[in-house]
Amino acid sequence: MHIYKTIKNFLLDQEYFIDLWQENIHIYGFKKIDVLQENRAVFVLEKFSLEILGKDFRVLKLTNKEILLQGSLKEMRIL
Amino acid sequence: MIDSYIWVEVKTTNKERFFLKCQEIQVFIYDVVYENQKIKVKILEKDLKKLKKIWFIKIKKIQNLGWNALKEKVHTYHIYLISLLIGLVFLYILSHIILSVEVIHSNQDIRFLVTNALNEKGIRKNTWKKDYQEIEKIKQEILDMYPDDLEWLEIETKGMKYIVRVEERKLEEEKNEPGACNVVAMKDGIVKEMIYSSGEAVYKRNDSVKKGDILISGTIKKDEETKKTVCATGSVYAEVWYEVRVSIPLTYEIQEKTGKVRWNIKAKNNGFNDFLFKSRLKNYEEDASSLFTLFGTEFLFVKQYETTVKEVTMDENEALEKALKEVDEKISLTLEEKEEIIAKKVLKKEVNNSTMNVEVFVSVLEQIGERQEFVTQE
Repeated sequence: MHIYKTIKNFLLDQEYFIDLWQENIHIYGFKKIDVLQENRAVFVLEKFSLEILGKDFRVLKLTNKEILLQGSLKEMRIL
Repeated sequence: MIDSYIWVEVKTTNKERFFLKCQEIQVFIYDVVYENQKIKVKILEKDLKKLKKIWFIKIKKIQNLGWNALKEKVHTYHIYLISLLIGLVFLYILSHIILSVEVIHSNQDIRFLVTNALNEKGIRKNTWKKDYQEIEKIKQEILDMYPDDLEWLEIETKGMKYIVRVEERKLEEEKNEPGACNVVAMKDGIVKEMIYSSGEAVYKRNDSVKKGDILISGTIKKDEETKKTVCATGSVYAEVWYEVRVSIPLTYEIQEKTGKVRWNIKAKNNGFNDFLFKSRLKNYEEDASSLFTLFGTEFLFVKQYETTVKEVTMDENEALEKALKEVDEKISLTLEEKEEIIAKKVLKKEVNNSTMNVEVFVSVLEQIGERQEFVTQE
């Protein structure tokens, strides 16, 4: 599924996308990271901000507009 | 320019602040490993400078990845790599070079002919090995060059040597069978056996014959009339006699081994023969076995057995025995198949100044017939 989504994103050029699988959270298309803590993270996207709440968030990969977090997700909110 | 990655160890009390800072200064993190008090991050090498500017972390480069890692390994092991490369090149050269060409044939002229032809075609020592197709072509060309001399030619590659086997073309000579011939005696003797396939036997067993006598006649007669002339063919074995004189010295020298053994290495090349180490024995017998051949020089392992010269004196009986043995050897050299010594008798024996002179009478069973052509009177 992830490969399919990546190819789709490559071909269709999405503005942002958010993926969740097992204990991983993948966010693509943010402009800035406002907050990055073990239990909370806030990402500023083009048209909205995304808040995620959970436990033991750890960064696995990070680029200028893409992040892969590992952790236990409890809640996700659009601000 | 290919980007290369590195692993960096980061010590910080606030990991989240570090990640936020990375995002701010555009340092991309491609992998993270969390340990107790520190984290290891995989970044681009060019971003290391940016990270070093972050004041609240301590960083240490721990591993190169990609091309840089390869370059580092090559630099560390460059001596081994160069040695390996030289070894491979050397191996390639040695396995593709020819150091000698051997032509196998009993006739020296044929060997000379083939060697020259091979030289012309580029098959000679200290040259590059040829592939199968080339060799086949050269073989055919040489056979075409000498159709009357060469029947077959084979070139075998064995290590760094070409072994060339040749078969000579032998044209059958027209056999001119003589029209008429007799078998005559070459020596005086007493006939013991006659084996003939054509002609008429003139003598029979135990007849005495003289040199020149016709033993098997090519003229076939009936009632005193010549019916036919043929070429008599056969073998006549007769008892012939010889008087042989031998001189045997009563005192002679023999080489006796002392039991001392020494080892040495000998180098042999064409006519040149020399020991690698100085020989420690004055008089010795040697026993050599081949070790290996390198660039045309054969190296042999030599065992040297020390010997001393011992003088031996024979008594008359021993000397006589030795004399008879010598007579046997002398006569046997001249004998062919089915010929043998029948009897020996000592005619005279005298001792002069520590030498024994012996005269021996020998009876030998020998083939005495020889074909002789004659002209028929018509």
